[in-house]
Amino acid sequence: MRAAISRVDGSADFISQQNFDRAVAHVVRLIPIPAESAEWFSEKDLVPASRWTWKKMMRNPAVLAISIAVAVIAGVFVSNFLSHLNDFPASATARKLLGTAASTRPVMLDPVNAEAGTLSDLFFMKYGLEHYDVPAEFADFGTIGCRVFEDDESRRIAQIWVAEKRMQFFLFPAERNSKTGAVMRFPDWRYVHQEGWTGAVTEHSGVCFMAAIRGRDKDLEPYIARPKK
Amino acid sequence: MLGDSRKAQEVFHATLREAAQGAAHGELPSEPFWLFREARWRCLEATKNDLQPEAVEIDEHDLCAAAASQIEQLDPVQLAIWISAAPDPQRSALALFYLDEFDYREILDLAELKLNELSRLLARGRRQLQAWLDAKFPQPG
Repeated sequence: MRAAISRVDGSADFISQQNFDRAVAHVVRLIPIPAESAEWFSEKDLVPASRWTWKKMMRNPAVLAISIAVAVIAGVFVSNFLSHLNDFPASATARKLLGTAASTRPVMLDPVNAEAGTLSDLFFMKYGLEHYDVPAEFADFGTIGCRVFEDDESRRIAQIWVAEKRMQFFLFPAERNSKTGAVMRFPDWRYVHQEGWTGAVTEHSGVCFMAAIRGRDKDLEPYIARPKK
Repeated sequence: MLGDSRKAQEVFHATLREAAQGAAHGELPSEPFWLFREARWRCLEATKNDLQPEAVEIDEHDLCAAAASQIEQLDPVQLAIWISAAPDPQRSALALFYLDEFDYREILDLAELKLNELSRLLARGRRQLQAWLDAKFPQPG
């Protein structure tokens, strides 16, 4: 086929045939079409295309559904971003312990009537927990009870219930770098929130202390000597 | 295909009507050019009872250099009648080819022809048209 085409391509017969066909096709295009049939080939739109508007597009159920879905996803992302904006190394554990605080009942703790600051010796002598010290800001509060338990990662947590505004204190190991094993320190007091509870957390000697209260930051602020960061 | 604008219009409208009904019932064929194939069959059907071209030997001439100028002098309606007077499938081949809307493969599909048949029909059609042009517009010398 290719050979045949290349053979005839430049021949005079082929050129004259092409000219013949072109001339006939030109005359064929001039054959009149009946007016009634010609209307069907009109370039004018029989049904005018509807105008595209933002308003109309926004009313489209598909666009509306996609917009709502995108807005919800964006909302979740923003909410996650904001909630993790003030994260610090022990924030995840602190949030979990706020959940524990919400579900703890007084009968679950051993009754202890003492000043919170004095329980460091108890934790060291009875449980072998070093540096489980209640900071000076909360050391004078009278306790109702205390206990030591292990969380789901087998870390030993000390929990103290005090009479003052029914606050609960938690002492737990600070987060460590998984590669170096070094304590991940953070300065001053940090706040965490979970299910209506607020915790003020600080770290000292590889142990974190959290004062938890059912309420907001302002309920804990008066107890903390240094300004909130 | 018909050489008669009234008949052509009837075929055109009947084809469109059937296409619209098919579309309304969601029964439009998915194959390409079905509308043209349908129209062609309607044209053939419409001329079945008409006067048929006589089975006579038509003169054939080689294409000449002056053919283009001879064709320019042709009345388009006369050319339409000349093509429509050809026996099918030559009529379909010439009509589809000179409409200049389809390539060879599409013409083969629409007219249900093989390549060598189409080639033979077109070559013969050209030579017959040239003979008619020579008779109608004789060249000096």
